[in-house]
Formats: sequence, C-alpha cells, structure tokens
Amino acid sequence: MEATNPTSKAGDWRNYKRVLLPPVKDLHQLEVYEDNGGYKALRDVLSGDKWDPQSVTAEVKKSNLRGRGGACFPTGLKWTFMPPVDPDVPRFLCCNGDESEPGTFKDRQLMEYNPHLLFEGILIANYAMTIKTCYLYVRGEYAQWIEQMEAELEKLYKKGYVGENIMGTGFSTDIVIHKGAGAYICGEETSLMESLEGKRAYPRIKPPFPAQKGIWGYPTTINNVETLACVPLIINNGADWYSGIGAEKHPGPVLYGISGHVNKPGVYEYPSGMLITDLIYEVAGGMRGGKKLKAVVPGGSSVPIMKADMIDGVTMDVDTIREAGSMMGTAGMLVMDEDTDMVSFLRRITHFYHHESCGQCTPCREGTGWLENLVTRIDRGEGNLRDLDLLIDLCDQMEGRTVCALADAAAWPVRWTVTRFREEFEAKCKPAVFPTGDGATEAAVPAT
Amino acid sequence: MAADITKELSPLPDRTPEPAFSADELVWTAAEQEQMEVYKKRYPTNDGAIMRGLWLAQDKYGWLPPEVIRLVAETLEVPYAQVYGVATFYTQYFKERKGKYVLDVCTCFSCQVCGGYDMLHHLEEKLEIHVGETTEDGLFTLQEAECLGACGSAPMLQITNGSYLHNLTTKKLDTLIDGLREGKRVPFVSVTLPQDADDLDGNRRSDVKATDTYHAPPVAKTVK
Repeated sequence: MEATNPTSKAGDWRNYKRVLLPPVKDLHQLEVYEDNGGYKALRDVLSGDKWDPQSVTAEVKKSNLRGRGGACFPTGLKWTFMPPVDPDVPRFLCCNGDESEPGTFKDRQLMEYNPHLLFEGILIANYAMTIKTCYLYVRGEYAQWIEQMEAELEKLYKKGYVGENIMGTGFSTDIVIHKGAGAYICGEETSLMESLEGKRAYPRIKPPFPAQKGIWGYPTTINNVETLACVPLIINNGADWYSGIGAEKHPGPVLYGISGHVNKPGVYEYPSGMLITDLIYEVAGGMRGGKKLKAVVPGGSSVPIMKADMIDGVTMDVDTIREAGSMMGTAGMLVMDEDTDMVSFLRRITHFYHHESCGQCTPCREGTGWLENLVTRIDRGEGNLRDLDLLIDLCDQMEGRTVCALADAAAWPVRWTVTRFREEFEAKCKPAVFPTGDGATEAAVPAT
Repeated sequence: MAADITKELSPLPDRTPEPAFSADELVWTAAEQEQMEVYKKRYPTNDGAIMRGLWLAQDKYGWLPPEVIRLVAETLEVPYAQVYGVATFYTQYFKERKGKYVLDVCTCFSCQVCGGYDMLHHLEEKLEIHVGETTEDGLFTLQEAECLGACGSAPMLQITNGSYLHNLTTKKLDTLIDGLREGKRVPFVSVTLPQDADDLDGNRRSDVKATDTYHAPPVAKTVK
C-alpha cells in the first residue's frame, strides 16, 4: 500500500488515537468515565483561578472549532453572540441531537458510547455563557438512547455534577432531555426552538437570531452534539492541541459516517481533512464486490453529489470540498457503485423533502411536491426532456426564497444530480418529437 | 330567482366520531400524574411539556384520538387546538389506530440503495398487506419511514417507535415476524464501531448482550 497521499491534510491518520470515542470498555457509564479522567475539564473550569467564562470562550474560539451540524460555523464566535449577562433574563443552551439528515448517523453513536463527554461539554458551555438550563433535543426515534442517557443523567444529578451548586463551586445549571417525535425540520435551529416551546415546528424568520431572541424569547445558543463533545477535549488539552489536528482551517477530530456500497460501512473517528479516496478505499474497505465507484454524497442528502472523477485529491474540510463543488455538511458520506440508478435515487430524495417540508412557505411546500412529481414522472419513463430544464427552473425559484434552508436543501440535490448525471435523466425521458414539415411527426432518440 | 330559504336543509353529517375511549378510561394513574408534574417543571411554561405529555398518552393508549389529545391539553392547561396542532405535526404520534407492532422500514437514501425496498416488499408479501395498512389480526402495521439515522447498518427498520433492527435480510425479517407473533420482544441492539474490532473484541459495552457489527450491505434488487 502506498504511503499517505501527500495532499491529505489528516497527517499520520493511520496512527490516530481516538478522543471522541476512545477505545475504553463501558465508557458510557459514569464510573468508567470518571476513572478515565472524566469531568476533569469541568472541575478545572469551575474551581481554581485559571478559567472564567470569558477565558473558556476565548479558548474555544482560539481552537477554531467549527460546528459539526452541517454549517461549519465557528463555535467560539457563536458563543460570543450572546448578550451581556443580565441576572433577570434567563438564557438557554440547546444541544441539537435531532440528527435527521439522511446519511448522518454519527451523533447516535456518540450519545450511546460517550454521552458523558457530551454532558461535560454542555456543562462547560453553560458555564462559559452563564446559562442555567440546557435542553438536549434528541429525535424521538432514538427512544432507547434517550432512556439510556436519562439514566446516566440521573446518576449525574445524584453525584452533584448537574443541578444546584455543582461540586460545591456555587455554579448551578440543569440539563433537560427533550424527546422529539419525528420531524426532519426540527434539526433547523429556529424550528427546534418552536418545537421545544410545544408548537408545530415552523422555522422562524432570522433576524432576530437565537442569541437575541431564542426559546421563549430569551437569549439562546444552539450547538450540535458532536460540537459540544469537543469542548472538554479543548479544555483538557488546550486550543493549540485541538487546532493542530487535521486541516488547518477546519481542525479537530471528525466522526465520519460512511454508508452505502462499501465493504465496511460505519462511523469512524479520524482527523478532519481526510482524503475522500482514503475514506472509501482504505478506511471503509473499498467498494462492495469490487465494483466501480459512481458517485459520492459527502455530507448528508442535501449537499451536492460528486461524480467519481471529482473526488481525486479532495479532502474533508470545509474549504477544499467547497472548491471541489460540494459541501462538508455533516460528514455523513454515502458511497454509490456503478449499478446505482441515479434517477430513482433522486426520486427518493425528493420524496423525503416533500414529506418533511413543514408547509409554512409556499415555494417549499409546493416546490418539493413538484420536484417529486417531475422526477417520478421521469423515473417512470413518462418524462419529457424539457422536464429537466423545468426542474432546474424550479430549483431557481426555491433556493433562498423561504424562511429556512429546507427549500435549498431540497433543491440542491435535484440541481446537482440533474446537472452532473444529465445523460442518465435524458436516457429515461421520452424521446423528443420533432415536426418533419409534411404534417407528420418523427421521433428522435434523445441526444446522449 | 331567489333561493328558497324555507326549504328544509339536509341534516349536517355527523362529524364527531364515536370516541374510542370512555370517560372512565380517560384518567391518569397517580404515577402518570406525577410524571406529568415532573415534565411540567422542566419548562418555563406548560407548553414545553406538550410533546412529553403526548408521548405519555400514546404509551398509555396506543394512539391519540381527539379525546386523548384533549386529556393531555386539560392536564397541562393549554388550549386543545395547540396540542392538536402538535400531535398532527409530528409523524411519530399516531392519529389513527395502529397494529400492535408498527414496522417502520427505512427506504430513504442509504437504505434505498442498500435494499430497503426489497425488505419493504418482502414484508408486504409476508404480511399480505400493502405499505400503510394493518393486518386483519391487528398485530402489524407496515410503514415506509424516512431516514432513521442508522445508515451504516442499512437496510434497517424500527419497531413501534422503539427497537432498531439493523442489517436486515429477508431471513431476519421472517424470524422477526414469527417471533413477534409468538410475543417475543426485540431487545436493544448495540451496533459496534468498526474501529473497535481490534481493541475491544468488537463490543465496548458489557451491559448489552445483543450486538451487531456493520456489514457490507446487500445488493439492492429493487429501488422503488
């Protein structure tokens, strides 16, 4: 096997030591987590003179941690958006564990195998922003993981890591696990807040941003599960250690969720900046049955699809992958082999977005339905060539014209799958019919 | 010509369905009442507890007919319309009566390209129902689900908003259905991480017996 490709930004990833999901038996239990240095970061932050809320935020900012929920927004910067502390105004943290983006399944493994790292991250974030309550929003489908986490959380309350006067330091904060009930839209931060407030989860118009007016109108910060799990690591090891992992502009460990036609699918922890080819052929054991690679969706269903010839030398960090014509998203990567029917594949994606559109904005509510109907028609062999242009036109009319980004997320896969695999769509359309001049019409084979 | 307003109107259709639960059944036990109080305390207003309240009600009654939704609303002292709105927004709240076991087969994205539809169609044939229907004995409801967040172990399904069943094969489905008919519950299955294969004998939890590893997915025969 050749040495690591020089364009990889993950360094010596073969000898990488995992930190988010370290190989420790029963790490999900409080006692084991404590024995392995758990809650040390929290203790350091709360007691002693080294840390105050400002310095914790500054350290996270310095580490260049970027959100792992898909948008890759710098976390430390987000924390500074919170208004100055006013003792009369409650403030909230929301941890987004809704994880419904198709192709994404990393947070579930983190919540099962290392929930205390998440809890510790939440507590430190609460301290850094002087927050009294964190709502951990977990999708309702993860019922069994919610039960397990609630049991562990109860232990935390008993041991005094959460609640009033934590570890005798005078700092008090609560964690509440909120169980969703099956709606993709709740992963959008403003609709997550609506859902928490016990309403139909219709996204809100921004501004005002959550930091100004969040849940129940109070200042709120919303972070992804994996993002908050990185915080104790930064406190324990320092911002420089963290920013030294992986790609310079998008550092840190990343949970890569690889699924689809590979020999060893699953969640893998490696530094950011891994080559996509390394992830497919080395980490995930190559293509199933030795088939040829056809396409990769690198970060969940809404990011632009990449053809096999586009992934050479592309690394998993926000800038490189954007230059290559896609997005980092959630690093939930779907790999497809040469036998995949792209039209049917897209039909199912459009069905998903049609089903999950909340119905608040017309371009999305109607547009997602139109996308599904058109792609289904093409998939059945009843489509016309002009439907392809109509699809792109629809995408133009949906993107950026709604309250939240679901319409964009629904339009991107259509736009890019149709553009990048156009010949497959054309092949499934009805042959174009041209007039011949003598009154009859003549069928022509679509151009390939 | 003016409309004949003296003509007797046809009677309005009876829009109030027969309630599924009687007034005697629509009461909380002391333990449930206590649980509701716990939920209420977690939020600044009672609205926040609506979703948990509906979950509690669904666990108790199996589904959420209007009178159960009203019970939740009255317990939490929030308008019925708001609770009804929430109940109808989220797919996991059952607004109609379902079978004892609701089989949510994921066919979305990764599961589609890894054979989710093969599994769905196999179940359709085995249970002799179409997707969305309930078997005559009231035991199984078959549904097509959107991404359930277990893409690495595709194809997969979820049983009545609870256990996940990973890496499905038609054989596994047959065993599942036969087992459920005999009342065998499906345990929680922990899916181990591929990176743990060398370090922890493939299982990092000693409190869970049922484990599964990620497999190379099957070849999908049908994709729709």
